[in-house]
Amino acid sequence: MTEPEPTTTKMGRPVFEVEGASVTYDMDRGVSRVLDDATIDIFEEEILGVVGESGSGKSMFASSLLNAVPPPGTLDGEIRYHRDGEVIDLLGLSPEQLRRVRWEDVAMVFQGAQSSFNPTISIRRHFEETLEAHEYDIENGLEHARQLLADLYLDPERVLGSYPHELSGGMQQRALIALSLVLEPDVLVMDEPTAALDLLMQRSILSLLENVKEKYELTVVFITHDLPLVAGLADRLAVMYSFKFVEIGRAEDVFSNPKHPYTRALLNAIPNLDTPRSRMHPIEGSAPDPVNVPTGCSYHPRCPLADEQCEAAEPPLAETTDKHHAACYYWEEAMEEIELSIESDEPAVDDTVVGRQSDEPVVSVDAVDVHFEQGGGGLFGFFSDPDTVHAVDDANLEIYENDVVALVGESGCGKTTLGKAIIAAQRPTNGTVRYRGQDIWGTRDGRVDGEIPWEQIRRSLQMIHQDPGSSLNSHRKIKSSLEDPLRRWHPNMDPGDREERILGMLEYTGMSPPTDYALRYPHQLSGGEKQRVALIRALLMNPDVILADEAVSALDVSLRLEMMDLMLELQDAFDTSYVFISHNLSNARYFAGNADGRIGVMYLGELVELGPVDEVIDEPLHPYTKVLKWATDDMELSDRIEDPPIRGIDIPDPVNPPAGCRFHTRCPEARTVCREESPSLDEAVSAHPTACFREYPMEHPYWDSEPVDDAEETVTGDPIDAG
Amino acid sequence: MFLNDWLITPLRVIWDDWRARVGGIIILLYVLMGTIGVVLISEPRPGDGPRLIRPFQDWAHPLGTDINGNDLFAQTVHATPPMLEMIVAGAVFTTALAMVVGTLSGYKGGIVDRLLMTFTDILLTIPGLPLVIVLALVLDPRQPWVVGVILTINAWAGLARAIRSQVLTIREEAYIEAARLMGISTWRILLKDITPSLMPYVLVNFVNAARTVVFASVALYFLGILPDTFLNWGVMMNYAYSVGGALYTSGTAHWLFVPLMTIVVLSFGLILFAQGTDRVFNPRVRARHASQDDLEPGEDDMSGEVATQIRG
Amino acid sequence: MVNYYLARTAQALFTVFAVMTLAFGLIRLMPGGPMDFVRAQLQQEAGAVDQAQINAMVEVYTNVHPEQPLLDQYVDYMSGIMRGDLGVSMWYDRPVSEILAMALPWTVFVMTISLAFTFGIGISLGAAMAYAEGSRFDSISTLVSIFLNSIPYYVAAIVMVYFLGYESGMFPIGGRISSDVTPGLNIPFIASAFYHAALPIASFVITAFGIQALAMRGNSIRVLGEDYLRVAQLRGLPPHDIALRYIGRNAILPMYTGFMISIGFMFGGSVILEEIFAYPGVGFYMFRGIEARDYPLMMGAFILITVAVVIGVYVADLTYGKLDPRASTKGGDREAF
Ligand code: SF4
Ligand code: SF4
Repeated sequence: MTEPEPTTTKMGRPVFEVEGASVTYDMDRGVSRVLDDATIDIFEEEILGVVGESGSGKSMFASSLLNAVPPPGTLDGEIRYHRDGEVIDLLGLSPEQLRRVRWEDVAMVFQGAQSSFNPTISIRRHFEETLEAHEYDIENGLEHARQLLADLYLDPERVLGSYPHELSGGMQQRALIALSLVLEPDVLVMDEPTAALDLLMQRSILSLLENVKEKYELTVVFITHDLPLVAGLADRLAVMYSFKFVEIGRAEDVFSNPKHPYTRALLNAIPNLDTPRSRMHPIEGSAPDPVNVPTGCSYHPRCPLADEQCEAAEPPLAETTDKHHAACYYWEEAMEEIELSIESDEPAVDDTVVGRQSDEPVVSVDAVDVHFEQGGGGLFGFFSDPDTVHAVDDANLEIYENDVVALVGESGCGKTTLGKAIIAAQRPTNGTVRYRGQDIWGTRDGRVDGEIPWEQIRRSLQMIHQDPGSSLNSHRKIKSSLEDPLRRWHPNMDPGDREERILGMLEYTGMSPPTDYALRYPHQLSGGEKQRVALIRALLMNPDVILADEAVSALDVSLRLEMMDLMLELQDAFDTSYVFISHNLSNARYFAGNADGRIGVMYLGELVELGPVDEVIDEPLHPYTKVLKWATDDMELSDRIEDPPIRGIDIPDPVNPPAGCRFHTRCPEARTVCREESPSLDEAVSAHPTACFREYPMEHPYWDSEPVDDAEETVTGDPIDAG
Repeated sequence: MFLNDWLITPLRVIWDDWRARVGGIIILLYVLMGTIGVVLISEPRPGDGPRLIRPFQDWAHPLGTDINGNDLFAQTVHATPPMLEMIVAGAVFTTALAMVVGTLSGYKGGIVDRLLMTFTDILLTIPGLPLVIVLALVLDPRQPWVVGVILTINAWAGLARAIRSQVLTIREEAYIEAARLMGISTWRILLKDITPSLMPYVLVNFVNAARTVVFASVALYFLGILPDTFLNWGVMMNYAYSVGGALYTSGTAHWLFVPLMTIVVLSFGLILFAQGTDRVFNPRVRARHASQDDLEPGEDDMSGEVATQIRG
Repeated sequence: MVNYYLARTAQALFTVFAVMTLAFGLIRLMPGGPMDFVRAQLQQEAGAVDQAQINAMVEVYTNVHPEQPLLDQYVDYMSGIMRGDLGVSMWYDRPVSEILAMALPWTVFVMTISLAFTFGIGISLGAAMAYAEGSRFDSISTLVSIFLNSIPYYVAAIVMVYFLGYESGMFPIGGRISSDVTPGLNIPFIASAFYHAALPIASFVITAFGIQALAMRGNSIRVLGEDYLRVAQLRGLPPHDIALRYIGRNAILPMYTGFMISIGFMFGGSVILEEIFAYPGVGFYMFRGIEARDYPLMMGAFILITVAVVIGVYVADLTYGKLDPRASTKGGDREAF
C-alpha cells in the first residue's frame, strides 16, 4: 500500500510498513493459512484498532509485528519498522537484534494476564529481570515502573511486592501493561488485552490507556473482537475477516460509514444501548476454516450481494474514498443496500413489547443472604480463620411466569449466586425462597408439608451455564447427554419417541442434520452449538424458570444475538421465564427488553436498582447504574473515551464490604452520610426502586451532608497510613 | 452400539499404540501361562531331570533345573496362578477402596473429607514396605488373595488423593451442576458423569497396584518373611540365594536369574500397557476411531500425565 | 503463611503419634502377637520362674507393662518412646535405641545421596528430553526410562552384587567401611564410606531415575506451552534464566509429590537393600529383628524408619511452601500430602 503524504489527519510518519505478510502452518489436512497477505501501514502515535472475530487471524497479525509467530508457523512477506529514521527489516534480523527490538521498541500485551506472569516469582522480579535482560539501570527502571503503575491507578509498592495470584484480574492486566512499557517502547501491541475483564474494567483500562499513550508518546495497535469498544479509542480501524484485512480507514469512517458488507453486518449484529432492538440482526452462517477458505471473496457464502464475480476472484483491498480501503467489488451497493441499523430512517422506537407475565410470582426471594466461608481446610485447618464472603445480602425479588429478569453487575457482585439462589441451586444462609408460595428449602428438608413435591420444584428450575466448554460432559455423545432429562422424568417414554423428541429439538435449533449432531461428542461442536444443546437440555425438563448465567458472553459478538433470539423464541413455545445474568448492559437490554422484562443491578452482594428495562437504561437512577451505562458499548462516536465517572477502579473486597452504602468508596456522588447509613431498596415505594439516598422520595439528611473528599477518604480509609 | 462403544473401539485404539500393544501381549502371555500353562506343563518335581542344567541347553528343560533337578520353567509357570490371584486381589482392593474414599471425600466435602484425607495422608506417609512386613509377620497370611490385600494395605492412599482432586475439579464442572439440577441421583451422576473421567487414573493405578504386588510379594518371599505355602518366583529366588548360594557358587546363577527376568518382563509389560492405554479414555481419540474424523494433531497425547502417575 | 506451617507441623506430629499408637496396638493387642511371643520365649529360656518376674522382663524388653490397665500401658509406652526408650533387643541384648542410633546415620547417608542422584539425574534427563521432544534421543530415553523403572530395585541390587561384588570383586559385598580406616573427617574414611555405599545407592538410582525423568519431561512440555514462557521470551530474557526460573521452577514444583513418595519408598526399601548388601543400617537391623523374631528391635526400627520419613516429608513440605508462593493459599500445583 503506497500512501501519499497524509494531509488531512494527524497521521505522522509510518512506524510500521507491513507488506504481504502471511503466516502458514503445515497440518495433516493441508496448509493452514492463518494470516493472508496482510498489507497495512501503522503511523506514529496513532491508535490502530484491529477488529475481527475469533479465528479471523487478528492474533497472528499481532504476533507478526514482533516477528513472534508461535512455532511451527512460518511468517513470509515484509515487515519494516522505522526507528528514528532508520528502517529495520524485522524478518531479516539476527536473533540478538530481534531480541533488542522486542520490548525495547515494540512490546506486547496478551489477553490472559494471569497466564502471562510466572506464578512462582513476584511482580517486582518480573520488572527487574526484564530490565536486566536489556541492560537497563535497575533503579531508574523500577522508578519508571512505579510511575507507570501509579498512572494505571495501582499502588506501586503493593503491586510490586505481590505474587501474580494475589492480584485481581483487572490489577494483573494493568500490571502487565506496565511491564510492557517499562523499557519505554515506541509501539505497544495489545492482543485482546481486556477481553477477560468486566466491561467497566475494560472501559476504565481503555481510558487509562489513552492517558498513558499521550504521556509516553506511544503507538498502539489494539486488537479486539469488540468493534464499539475500540471505536471511541482508535484513530484508525482495520477489520479482519477470514485472515485478511477487508476494510481499513479512519475510525469514524469505518464505524459510521462502513463499506464492506461484513463490517456493516457486524455492526448490526452488536447488541448496544442505542439501536432499536428490532433492528439488530445476527449474521447468518459461520466464519470459514483456515484450511478451507472459500474461493474468491471469502465472505461470499454469507454476503447478500455476492455474485459470480465474487465467487471467482478475490477483490483487492482498494481505496474507495479518501483513506478508506475496502476489499469488496460492490462497496457502493453495500452502502445502499445493507442498511445500518443505527442510521435507519425508520423512527427509532421499538414496537412496544407487551409482556405476558403472570400476576402471581413463580419464584419469590425474600430477604435472602448467601455467605460463603473461605479458607480453612484439612483437619488442621483450625489454624486459619475462615473468611466470610458476603456474596448476597438481603435480596428481595419476584419472578413471574413468562418473565425475564436480567441481573447485571461486575464480577464478584453476587449476581450468579443470587441467580442460583433463585433456582434453588444454592441454599441461602438466611431468608426464604418460595416456589409458587411454598418454601423451597423447607420442602427439601421435609419441614414444610406443601402440595408441591420437591421433585416438581427441582425440575421446574433449570440453568444454562456460562462456559460452553464445560456445560456438556466431554465423554458423552450429545444424544446421551440429552437423554438424561427424558429418562429421569419420563422413564416410560418409548426410546423411539425419546430419540424423535431430541432430534426434533436439534433440528428446531438449527443443528441439522440432527442425526449427525446427535452422535457427535461435544468437542466436535462449536461454542454456539454447545450452548444450544445446553439450552435444549434445560428445556426438555419443561421448566418454569431458566437461569442463563452469562450464557452468551463466551460467544462471538455476531453469534450473541442469534442465541438470544433463539432463547426468546423458545420462551414463547415453552412458557418459561429467564433469569439472565450478564456483566454487559447491552445484552441485558436486548434480552430483557424483548420480553418486556426487568433489569436488576447488583453491587457487592446487594441489589441496588431494579426496574423495567427501558427505564433503567434510559434513565438510570443509581450512580452505579450510570457508571455501568458509561462503560457499555456506545454506537455514537461523539462521546470519546473520557475519564470514568467513578472514584476507584477496583472493587472492594467482599470479605470486608465497606460500611454504610457499599458503593460509597467509588461513588462520585457520595457524601459523608453514605459512609454511615446504608440505603435500602424498597419495592413498596416505586416500581423502579433504587438503593440510593438521592432517590429517596422524602427529604433525606444526605442533601445536607458534606461531599466526600477523596484526599480525606484515603487517609481515613486506611488507618495504617494515617498513623 | 454398546459393543462398539465399549469394546471394539477401545480395543482398536489400544492396538493402535505400540506401547499398549506390546504391553498387552506381554500381560496376555502371563495370563495364558497362569491358566493354560499350568494345564499343559506338569508340576515340577525334584529329580525331574539332572541337577543344575543351564538354560537353553537341554530342550526338555528349556530354562534349566535347580539343585534338586526341579525344572525351572515348570516352577515359573506354576508360580503364576497364585501370583495372578494376588495381583487381582491387591489391584481390586486398591482401586475399589481408593475410588470409594476418593469420590466420597471429593464429592461430599466438609468433615467427611477432612477426616478421610487426614487418615489418607497418614497412611501415605508411613513407608509401605516396613508396614507390610510388620503386618505380614503379625497376621501370617496363607491365601494368595489375603497376601495381595496386605501388600497393598497403603497403596490405595495415593490414588484416593488423586481421585479426590479429580472429583473436586469435575464437581465444579457446569455439566455436573446441570445434572444435579435436573434431579438426577447422586449415584447416577457418579456413575455416568464422574467415573468416566477418572478411568485413566484408575487404569494406570490398577496397573501400578499390580506392580506393587509383584515387587513386594517377590521381595517378601525372597526374604522369607512370608510363609512359602505356595510356589512363588520370590520363593525360587530365596532357595537359589540361600540354598543354592547363587551369588557365589558357580553354576547356580541361572537359578536366581530365571525368576528375576520373569518379574522384570512382567513389570515392563504392565508399565507399557498403562502408558499406552490412557488414550482409550480420551473422547477425541475415540471419536476419531469411530468416525474417521480427522482432528488436529497432538491433541491426544496425554502420556506426560500418565508418567507422573506411575511411581515406583 | 504462618498458619500453613503450623498446620503442617501439627499434621507431622499427628502422623508420628498415629504410627506409635499403631505400633503399640500391634504389639499389645494382636492375639498371638509379639507380646505372647516374647512371653513364650522368656518362659522357655527362664524355665519355671514366677509370673511376676516374667512380666517384669516382658516390660523391660517390650516397654509394655502387661499388668497395668490398657490406658496406663499405652501412656507408659508412648512416654517411653518420647524419652527414647524403645525397649531392649532380645537378640543383641542391648537397648534398641542404642543399636539403632549407631545405624541411623548410615541409612540416612545412603538415602539422601540416592534421592539426590535420582532427582538430579531424573530432572536433568527429563528436561533434556522435553527440549528434544520427538527426537530419537527422546524416544530412546523414554524407552530406557520405562525399562529401568520396571526393574525392582532389589533385583538390580542382586545383579550388581553378583557381577560387581562376587564375580569381579570390584565392590565390597558387605559392611559400611573398611576395617582399616579410622572414623572421622578424614579422606580415607569418607572415600571408604562412599565405596561401600556405592552399590546400594546405584541400585536405587538406576531403577528410580527413569520415572522421574518421564515426569519431568511431561511437566516441562506442559510449561513450554504456557503463555508466560512466550511472554518471557518476548521480553528477551536470557535462555538460562528462562530455563531455570521459568521452565525449571514450574516443572519441578509438581515433582514434589513424587519426591515425598520416594522418601518413604527408599527408606522403606532399606530393609531389603541393606540385607542384600549386608550394610548395617536401620533396615538391616529391622531384618535381623524379623529373622530372630526379636520384636523390640523390629518395632523400634519400624518406628524409627517411619519417624525419619515423616521428618523428611515435613522438611520437603516446608521448602515447598518457600518455593511456591501459592502453597499457603491454594495448595499450589501439588496434589498429594
Ligand atoms: S466482494 Fe462480493 S461477496 Fe465479497 S463482500 Fe463484496 S459483495 Fe460480498
Ligand atoms: S447512597 Fe450515597 S454513596 Fe450510595 S450510591 Fe447513593 S450517593 Fe452514592
